[in-house]
Amino acid sequence: MVRRRLDRQFPMFFLYTAFEVLQFVVLFTTSRSHLQFGEVYVRVYSVGLALSTAIRFGVIYELFKHFFHRYPALDGAGQLLFRGATILLLLVAVGLAVSAPGSSASLMLTATYALDRTVSILQCGLLISLFLFSRYFLLSWRSHAFGIALGLGIFATVELAASAVWLHLGAFGNPVVNLLTMATYTGCVLTWIFYLVGQEREPQYSVKALPDYDLEIWNRELQRLL
Amino acid sequence: MTITLIIALAAFAALMFSVRLTKGLALSADVLENPTEHIRSVDVEAFRNLIDRDEEEFLRTNLPPADFRRIQRERLRAAVEYVSCAAQNAAILLRLADAGRRSSDPATADAAEKLVNNALRLRLYALHAIPRLYLGMVFPGARISPVRIVESYEQMTRQVVLLGCLQYPTRGVSAAL
Repeated sequence: MVRRRLDRQFPMFFLYTAFEVLQFVVLFTTSRSHLQFGEVYVRVYSVGLALSTAIRFGVIYELFKHFFHRYPALDGAGQLLFRGATILLLLVAVGLAVSAPGSSASLMLTATYALDRTVSILQCGLLISLFLFSRYFLLSWRSHAFGIALGLGIFATVELAASAVWLHLGAFGNPVVNLLTMATYTGCVLTWIFYLVGQEREPQYSVKALPDYDLEIWNRELQRLL
Repeated sequence: MTITLIIALAAFAALMFSVRLTKGLALSADVLENPTEHIRSVDVEAFRNLIDRDEEEFLRTNLPPADFRRIQRERLRAAVEYVSCAAQNAAILLRLADAGRRSSDPATADAAEKLVNNALRLRLYALHAIPRLYLGMVFPGARISPVRIVESYEQMTRQVVLLGCLQYPTRGVSAAL
């Protein structure tokens, strides 16, 4: 990303990838030390998860801003969509958190997974909103932005399911769920690499002729203009 | 857990559907290669008449209530068709102008930029106007007048002409039309 200067184009995503690498190093080191997967590991994991989800939010907002910058006419509408969707999804997520709080004895774990589930709902919903928004307005996705959004969206949905399972089990990790989550995340990373390494493709249209309109209407419009 | 898993599955399905909609050709290559065949003429004056408040008031005062409601619903249904058509035209022009933004000629790029912005505004207004028109069909007595659609469409058509003149300077406005 640095070599292709994509870190300037997508600074939040760059921060996210750097943080994920750092988090892996810290957690791996902790798990291999005498602390192993004890209370310290859980605390570090929880803090890392909270920071990671916050940064992912920033990445999603960065994607929205990516369109605002390229299409200034949609700045107001896009901001409204982002805020409106966030509020609506937050209500849904909070409602779910109240109705299905989880069964873990550890308050910290329950809070962590409940927060993760809430944020996953928000992130999924915002990404879906962004895709639908861009579909309606026929906004041109550059390959890089699309790849980032796709990877994030897939991971957010799997995280949503995983946090539901963890909350239900009330235990810190289930081997099958963990493997599925890790496999998904690896797939997402490969997706990001694929899209970021590849060249951005601009759609090419050869406009042979301008559209033909009803002359009477156009002449009327020109008379009004003059 | 069941509810959350249902939400997760629904979210995944919605995500894949949205991605497919986005990545799939929203406008087919044929539409963009031959826009002439796909852009439909919009009678702006007829649309003005359909949403004209004075006309609506005239009908309201001169027709029995049941007849007025029936006719008003028909007018609004026709207005929805006009708005949808204008929005679809805006979509085609938007994609064409988006390509024009990358022109090396600053005047063409500027004209294309303005056209893109106006086409986007039109689609935005259409997004607001169509539900209001449908609401007007449900409550025919309600005051619905998406006038900004008309203004935006007229502005967009002026910019298309300007863009055409810039791209084909030797052929003039008539040739562009």
